[in-house]
Amino acid sequence: MSVRVLVNGALGFASTNKLRRKDVKASVIKAYKLASAAKKVLQREISMDESKLGTAKVKVKTKIDFDSVDIESKVELLKEAYRQAEEAAADKKVKISGCILTLDTWKTEKFLVTSDGAYVRSFTPRAAVFTLITAFHPQKGTVQRSFDLGGTGGWEITKKWNLPELFKKEAQTLSEILLYAKKRPSGRTDVILGPELVGLICHESSGHPSEADRILGREAAQAGETYLKADSIGLRVGSPLVNVVDDPTIEGSFGFYRYDEEGVKARKRVLIKEGVINEFLHNRETASIFKLRSNSSSRAAAFNREPIVRMANTYLEPGDYSKEELIEEIKDGIYIKSFMEWNIDDRRFNQRYVGLEAYKIKNGELKERVRNPILEVTTIGLWSSVDAVGKDLEFQAAYCGKGDPMQGIPVWTGGPHIRLRNVTLGE
Amino acid sequence: MQEDEAPSHIVDLALKKGATDVVAELHDKQHIMIRFSNNEVTVSKSYNESLVGIFLMIKKRRAAITVPLSSIRNLERSVETLVKAAEITPPADLYAPLPEGPFNYDPKLLRASRISLNPDRLIGYVEEAINSALEEGARKTAGTLIATKERLILATSGDVYASQERSSLEISVRAFTSDVSSGHFVSISRDEEKFDPSGAGRTAGRIAKASLNPKPGRPSKFTALLGPLVFADLISQVGIFSSAFLVDAGQSFLADKIGSEVACSKLTLIDDPTVADSYGARAFDDEGVPTRRNIIIERGILNSYLHNSATAKKFGVETTGNAGLISPHPWNLIVEPGEKSFDEILDGIDRGVYVTNDWYLRYQNYRSGDFSTIPRDGMFMIRKGEISSSIRELRISDNMLRILKNIREISRTRAWVKWWEVDIPTLAPYAVIEELNFTKSTM
Repeated sequence: MSVRVLVNGALGFASTNKLRRKDVKASVIKAYKLASAAKKVLQREISMDESKLGTAKVKVKTKIDFDSVDIESKVELLKEAYRQAEEAAADKKVKISGCILTLDTWKTEKFLVTSDGAYVRSFTPRAAVFTLITAFHPQKGTVQRSFDLGGTGGWEITKKWNLPELFKKEAQTLSEILLYAKKRPSGRTDVILGPELVGLICHESSGHPSEADRILGREAAQAGETYLKADSIGLRVGSPLVNVVDDPTIEGSFGFYRYDEEGVKARKRVLIKEGVINEFLHNRETASIFKLRSNSSSRAAAFNREPIVRMANTYLEPGDYSKEELIEEIKDGIYIKSFMEWNIDDRRFNQRYVGLEAYKIKNGELKERVRNPILEVTTIGLWSSVDAVGKDLEFQAAYCGKGDPMQGIPVWTGGPHIRLRNVTLGE
Repeated sequence: MQEDEAPSHIVDLALKKGATDVVAELHDKQHIMIRFSNNEVTVSKSYNESLVGIFLMIKKRRAAITVPLSSIRNLERSVETLVKAAEITPPADLYAPLPEGPFNYDPKLLRASRISLNPDRLIGYVEEAINSALEEGARKTAGTLIATKERLILATSGDVYASQERSSLEISVRAFTSDVSSGHFVSISRDEEKFDPSGAGRTAGRIAKASLNPKPGRPSKFTALLGPLVFADLISQVGIFSSAFLVDAGQSFLADKIGSEVACSKLTLIDDPTVADSYGARAFDDEGVPTRRNIIIERGILNSYLHNSATAKKFGVETTGNAGLISPHPWNLIVEPGEKSFDEILDGIDRGVYVTNDWYLRYQNYRSGDFSTIPRDGMFMIRKGEISSSIRELRISDNMLRILKNIREISRTRAWVKWWEVDIPTLAPYAVIEELNFTKSTM
C-alpha cells in the first residue's frame, strides 16, 4: 500500500507492505509529516492539473492462465531453447560458453483511489524473457547477445515467441558473427538501421528528452536532464519523415495500460511530428506547471514506488519503403540489424550504438557480415539524416530505468527499418 | 509467533517438507528519501517494509523466493511452493551443503549507530547541502538524501541464528552553474558524526564553478585523471565481476585469471565488510558465514574471486563470506591508498584530461570487458600539471582490463562513494590512467 499526499504545496509519499491498520495509519502520518517538514525548502507550491479522472475496472484477458502451466513445463521450455542454441552453435563448431536465460510471469492487481475522484481497479498479467548468450570459438574469442521479450497477456504470449526456434536462430547468427564478420567499417557512409536499433533510439533520444519532469530538472541528479527546454515545442530535430510516438494503449504490449497511476485515461502521445517536437510526456504535476492537461504518462514500477513521468511503448511510425527498396538505393553502405553496447549522455543528445549483427551493402545488395560498427552521433544529427522510412513495424521489450529508488518499468520500443544518408561510423 | 521467530520457523518447516538445506532471512527496513532539485524539495518519501528471503536445496536442486512478511499460513504456503519448485528444478552440477554453524560474529558489526529519521533533521541536512553548493557559486542544485534503518534476522539449517542492525545516511548532490556546467559529489556514512552533507555540496559547487563555459573536447587517447566518483564506478565493476557466479557463467572479464597480472602493481583492491564504522559493514553473509577481509587484487595480481559455499566447492576453495541468496557479491570495496596527494598527482601530468564523474556504463562484451561510459559534470584539460580549461562531450570507450593495467598512479586521498550510478559502497582514490581512449559524436 502506498499513499501520496499534497500538504500546502509539498509532496509526501509513503509505502508499506504491512497491511495492518496501525502500519497503514503510520504510513499516512509519515507521508504527511514528511511533506509538512519540506515546506521550508519549497519555492513553488506543487499542484495537480484539472485532468478528468477515471472510474473504471480494467482487466487484461488471458487465454491460458500462468497458474495453469506447471513449473516443469516452464523449465522444460527454457531447457529446450538452450538445447537448440547449443546444437545450432555446435553445428558451426562454436560453443555457447555462457547463457543466462530467465522466464518471468507475474500478475499485477492495482486499486487506485484519489481524493479528487479517481477510482480505478486493474489486473495486468505479464510475461517476459531475458537472455545473455556468450558464443566462444578458440581462435575467434567471444561475442555476446542480450535481449528481452515481453508482453501483456497469459501464457499464450510465450507460445508466440517460439523460444526454441528463436534461440536456434540467435545462436546461428552469433556463431556466424564470430566466425565470419569482417573488420569494423568506419568513415562516411549510408546506413540502414533495423527496428531493434530504431526502437532503442526512439526511446533514448526522443522519449526520455520529452519527459516533462526532466525538462523541469527533477531528475537532474540521477537520470539527468534533457537538451529540450520548456519552449522547445515546434523545434525541428529531424527530417520531415520522422514521426515518433508513445502509446500505452497497444493491446498485448509490454508497456500497456488503460489508466495511468494518477487515474488519467491513457492515450497516444505524438512526441515528434514530421521532424518537429510536438508534445512532451506529462503527469498531473508537470501538466499543472505547463498549464496543460496530463497526457497520462504517470507510472510507478510497483506499489512502493512514487508515480513519475514515464514512457510506455515508444516507436517510429512506419513510412512507405520496403526493406529491399531501402537497400536498393545504396551504393556503399552498412546495415545494422542489432546492437549490444549503447549509452547516451544525461542531456540525451550524444549517443553511441555499437552494432552486433551487421552487413556491408554494395550496389544495392547485402554482402558480407561486418563487426561492431559504431554509430556515435547527436540526436539532431541522427534524426536529420533520415531520408527514408520503411513500412514494416517491429517491437522489442525492455525495462526502462529512471527514478530514485530506481524504477525499472516494462516498455516496448520499436519502429521500421530506416535509412540514414552520409553518416560517419566511428573507428 | 513473533516476527523475529519467522526465519527459524521457516527453516524447520522446510526441513520437514523435505529440504536438505534452508536459509531464511527477514529483512526489516525503514527508509526515508528526500529528493530535491532547483534548490527545493520535490518529494519526501518513506518506505517501511518487511521481506522474507528463502533459499532452499534438496541436495543439488535449488529454489529461492522473496515474499512479504505476512501471516504464518502465507509463509507456510510459500515454503510448500518452494519445496515443490526445487523438486522439479534441474539439478545443479554439485551439492554443497550449507556451512555448519553456529559461528561467532564481531559484536561491533552487529550493532547499528544511532541516526535520526526525524523529518526536520533530515530536511536540515538537505538545506545544508544546497546552501553549501550555492555558497561555492552554484546556480541550482539537485540530489537525494537517504536515511536507512534496517534489521536482518537470519536462520539456516546449518544451526545459524543471527541478527544485525544497520543504519546509514547518504546524500548525493549535483550542482549547476549553467545548463552544461555542473559538479557532483556525495557523502555516505553509518553515523551522523561522519556524515557531511555540506562537504558534498561544497565539492559539487566548486566543480560546477570550475566547469563553466566548457568547450567541445577532441577525441583522442589521453593520460586521464579520474576522480573518486569515476574510479569508484570502474572499481565497483571489478568487484561485481569478481563474483565466482559470473565467472562460472562465463560472463566476467576476470574469468581464468586467478594468479595473473590483471592490473598495475599499484592497485590493491579489497572487499572488507569488517570495517565496523564503514557504510557497507556486515557481520555475516546470507549463509550465516562471518564476513572477512578478502583481497581481490593484490599489487596487480588477481588473488581471489568472491564465493558462497556452492561456488567455493566448485572452484575448490573456501567460501569468502560473500554469499547472497543466489550468487556471491562484494559488500564494501576498498582501494588501498597510494602515496601521492591529489596535487602531486596532478603535477605529474603534462597533458591530459581530468574526469570528475561518469554514468551509463555499458558493455559490448562482459567476457572481454569492452565497454563505454559517459563523463558527466566537470571535465577538464590538464596542461603542465595544471587544470587549464573546461571541456565536454567526450565518451570513455575502452576495455576494463586495459584500463586496470594502464593505471599509473593511485592517490593517497580517498572518498567513500555510493550513489545512483555506483551501487556498491567503494572507498576510491583519484587514479591516473595512461592512454585512456576518448571518443565523441561525429555529427
